[in-house]
Amino acid sequence: MGLGAKRWTRRAGFVAAVGALAVLLSACTDFNLRTALPPDAASVQGQASRNLYDIVFVIGVAIFVLVEGLILFAVLRYRRKSGDDELPPQIHGNNRLEIIWTAIPIAIVLSLFVLSWQTLNTVDAHTPTPPVRIGVVAYQWQWQFIYAPDGVRWEDCGAPANKGKCVTVFGTPPAGGDRSNWTPPTMHVPVNETVELQMHSIDVIHSFYVPAFLYQRDITPGRDQVIQFTADRIGTYRGQCTQFCGLYHQLMEFQVKVESNADYVAWLQQELTPPPSPSPSGPAGSPGAGAAAGTSVTLQLTASGVAYDKTDLTAPANTPFSILFANNDAGIPHNVSIHAGSATGTEVFKGEIFSGVDTRTYAVPALPAGTYAFVCSVHPNMTGTLTVK
Amino acid sequence: MATTALRPAATYRTGAYDWLTTTDHKKIGILYTFNSLILFLVGGIFALAVRTELAQPGLQFMTESTYNQMFTMHASVMIFWVVIPFLAGFGNYLVPLMIGAPDMAFPRINALSFWLLPLSALIALLGFPLGGAAAEGWTSYSPLAQSKFSSGVGTDLWIVALTLVGTSSILGAINFMVTIFKMRAPGMTLFRMPVFVWTTLVTSVLILMGTPVLTSALIMLYIDRNFGGSFFNTALAGGNAILWQNVFWFYSHPAVYIMILPAMGIVSEVLPTFSRKPLFGYKAFVFATAGIGALGFSVWAHHMFTTGSVYLPFFSLMTFLIAVPTGVKMFNWVATMFRGKLRFTTAMLFAVGFLSLFLIGGINGAVLAAVPVDYHVHATYFIVAHIHYVLFGGSIMGIFAGLYYWWPKMFGRMLNETLGKIHFVGIFIGMNLTFFPMHLLGLSGMPRRIADYSATAGWNDLNLLATIGGFTIAVAMLPFLWNIFITFRGGEPAGDDPWEGNTLEWATSSPPPPYNFDHLPPIRSERPVFDLRHANDVPALTADH
Repeated sequence: MGLGAKRWTRRAGFVAAVGALAVLLSACTDFNLRTALPPDAASVQGQASRNLYDIVFVIGVAIFVLVEGLILFAVLRYRRKSGDDELPPQIHGNNRLEIIWTAIPIAIVLSLFVLSWQTLNTVDAHTPTPPVRIGVVAYQWQWQFIYAPDGVRWEDCGAPANKGKCVTVFGTPPAGGDRSNWTPPTMHVPVNETVELQMHSIDVIHSFYVPAFLYQRDITPGRDQVIQFTADRIGTYRGQCTQFCGLYHQLMEFQVKVESNADYVAWLQQELTPPPSPSPSGPAGSPGAGAAAGTSVTLQLTASGVAYDKTDLTAPANTPFSILFANNDAGIPHNVSIHAGSATGTEVFKGEIFSGVDTRTYAVPALPAGTYAFVCSVHPNMTGTLTVK
Repeated sequence: MATTALRPAATYRTGAYDWLTTTDHKKIGILYTFNSLILFLVGGIFALAVRTELAQPGLQFMTESTYNQMFTMHASVMIFWVVIPFLAGFGNYLVPLMIGAPDMAFPRINALSFWLLPLSALIALLGFPLGGAAAEGWTSYSPLAQSKFSSGVGTDLWIVALTLVGTSSILGAINFMVTIFKMRAPGMTLFRMPVFVWTTLVTSVLILMGTPVLTSALIMLYIDRNFGGSFFNTALAGGNAILWQNVFWFYSHPAVYIMILPAMGIVSEVLPTFSRKPLFGYKAFVFATAGIGALGFSVWAHHMFTTGSVYLPFFSLMTFLIAVPTGVKMFNWVATMFRGKLRFTTAMLFAVGFLSLFLIGGINGAVLAAVPVDYHVHATYFIVAHIHYVLFGGSIMGIFAGLYYWWPKMFGRMLNETLGKIHFVGIFIGMNLTFFPMHLLGLSGMPRRIADYSATAGWNDLNLLATIGGFTIAVAMLPFLWNIFITFRGGEPAGDDPWEGNTLEWATSSPPPPYNFDHLPPIRSERPVFDLRHANDVPALTADH
C-alpha cells in the first residue's frame, strides 16, 4: 500500500471516529448474535421462510461488508495530507465499471427473486382438505377462536341448532392493562396436521401474526382471509395483532398451543362438556323468570353489532335488581359488568360471558347510590353509564 | 457580461416585514430551513415521548391514547413538515443559484408554497389542545380512520393539514420544473446541471405524479368521515379498505424517493468537493436517478404484501430491481472518493455517514422484497429500523451534510467545525444505538405502534438500548443549536468559496445579492467554478473526460 506506519498513527483520532461504525455494529451483533436471526420456526412453512431468510441474510451481510469495507478503505487511504495542494487525477468515470456494477446486482436480485418466489409458493400452498379448520374472529381489541364440528361452518356456531357443538375460545383484556397475571386467549392446534384458519374481522383491519411461524396476514373487514399452516414443534407460542387497530392495539395478544393429537382431542372434548350451569342464570326468553328473589326491577339491555343498544341505564339504590341481557351477535361473546365511577373503576359486578344468540338474566346485588359504568368484559369499548339513585 | 446594473438600488432589507413578504428564493429557502428545523425539534420531542414510554415494560408515563397520538404525530411531522420541506428548502435556495438563474420561475407562488407549511403544521398540531391529535398512525388506514372508530377532530385537522401540504408540494414541483427547464443560464445544458438539480427535477416529477393522488384520497377520506361517503368505509356498501392502501401508498412509497433523492443530490455535491474530484459516472448517476424515479411508481404494493390482495411476484420483482440503481449510485460515490484527496470537514463526515448508514437501509430494504421474509417482519420493528436507516441515516444525514456545506453561502459565516464534529459523532452513535436494536426487536416479533409490551417477551434490554440511543441523539443536537447561535453572534467570515466548490453558487458572494449574479463564469462542464479556478493549470490535470 506504500503507507508508512507513522502516517497511520497520525490518523489515530480520525480512525477512531470513523471506525465507530464497525465497533458499534460488531458490539451490537456480538451482544445479540442470537437475535440477529428470526426465531426457530415451529411450522413447516415458517421453516421455508427461515431458510430463505438465512440465504438473504448471508448475501446482505456479504454486500454490507464489501461496500462498508470499500468506504472505510477510501476514507483511511485517501485522506488529504496537510499542505498537499496538488489535484488528484480527475477521473470522470469508467463505462466498463458501470456495466459491471449494474449487471452483477441485477444478477443477484434476480436470483433472490426466483428463490423467494419459490419459497412463497411453498409458504402460501393450500390443500383442499385440511384436517383442522378454525374460525378466527378479530375485533377491537381481542381474538376469538371457533372450533366447529365437521359439516358445520364456524359462522353458524351461533345458530340454535348448533348449540353445544362448537368450542369458542375468547380473550378478555387484562384488568387495568396489567399483563402480569394475565393469560391471552389460547388457540389449540394439533402438531403435524395442516390447520386452516378462516379469518374474519368485525370492525377494523387486524393482523394475525405468530413470530414462531414467521407469518402474518392482515384481516380486513369485508375480505375474509384463509391461511394454512402445519405446526411441527410442540410448545406454546406468542402471537399478536400487528396492524395498528386503535386505542388498545397493544393488548391484542394471543397464544398458539401446539400439542399432540391426543392432547388436542382431549382438550376439545373437555371444552365441549358443558360446565355446571351457574345458578342465577335462568332460562332465556321469559323476562324476570330467573331473577333472584327479592328483585323488583329488571333492566333490559341488548348487544348487537358489538355495541349495546343503550348508553344510559337507571337502577334503584340499595336494592338488588336484575338485568335481562340479550346477546344478538351470533357466535360473539358479550356480558355486562359494572364498575364504580367509570369503566376503569373497581369492578362491583361481573355477569357471565356467553356467546350469542342467547340471553341471560343477571341478578345484581344492591348498590349504593352513585354513578357506575357498565362494560362488556370482552369488548372494553362497549360501555354505558348506570345511574343508581 | 456587464450586468452590474442588475443589482437593485434598494438596500438589502432584512426586517420582519421583508421576511414575511419576500419572494426571493434564497430567503424563502432559509425560511423553509428554519421552519423545518423547528418542526424537527417538535417531531423529535414526540419521538422521545415514544422512546421514554417504551424504555421498559408497563405504562409509566402516558396512556395508550397519548402514546398513539405521539407516534402518529412523530411520523407525520417528520415526513410532511421536516424531511420533504427541508429538502425543498435546499432546492429553493440552490436550484436557481446552481443553474445561474436570478430566481425561481414563479416567485410569488414560491412564497405561497412556503407559507402553506407553517399554517398546515399549526392546523395539525391544533389537535392537541382540541381534544387529541390524530392517532391512527401516519398511514391512517380505513376503517380505523373512519368517524365510527376515530371520532376526534384531530383526524379531520390532520386531513386538512396534509391537503395543504400536498398543495404546497404540487405548486413547488411545478415551480422547480419550469425553473429548471426554462431558466438555465447560457451554456448550462441538462447534462451540465449539478446532480443536486437533477435529483430535484426527478423529485418534482414524482411529486407532480404522486401527490395529487394522496391529496384526492385525503379529500375522499374527509367526505367519508364527515358527509357519509363510502370510498373506504367498509361499513357502507361499496366502501373498500384496500382502495385506501392502494391510493395512499401510490403516493407514499414514491414519497420515500422524494425524501431520499435530493439528499443523494446533496451528497453528490459534497463528496466531489471534498475529494477534489468530479463525481464518478455523472451520466450513470443521472440515469440511476431517473431509473429510481420510474421504478418508484411500480413498487407501492410492497407495503401490502400481507393484505392477501395484491399480485405478489410483480411487486416483489420490481422492489428487488429498484435496489439496482441505488447500488449503482453507491458504487459511484465510493469510486468518487477513490484516489481522491479527502478532506474531512463536518459536511464530508455527514456525507460519509450517509453512505455507511443508507447502505444498511438499502440492504435491509432489499431483504424485505423477499415476500416470505416480509411475511415475518412486516409491521414489526424491523420496518421501523429500515425506514429510519433510510430517512434518518439517509435523508437527515444528507440534510446535515447540506447544512454544514451551504451554511457559509446562506449566511456568509462559517459554522464552527469542532462543534460540528462533536455533533456528527453524537448523531452517528445515537442513531445506531437507537435504530440498530430495532432490527433485532422486529426479527423476534415485536410489532410496531404498541404502547406497551409483555415483560416476558424478551424485548426489555433492546428497548432500553434504543431509548438510550434516542436521548443520545437529542443531546447531540445541543452542540448543533449552540453552533448556530454562536455563528449568528459572530462566526468566521466565509468568503465566496470557502470549500473550493464546483458549482455556480460558489461564483457569487456569500450571501448572494438579490438576483444572485453580477457576472457568470463560462459554463463548459458540470463544474464551471472548478474550470474557472483551474483555467491556467497544466492541461493534463483538467483534461475533460
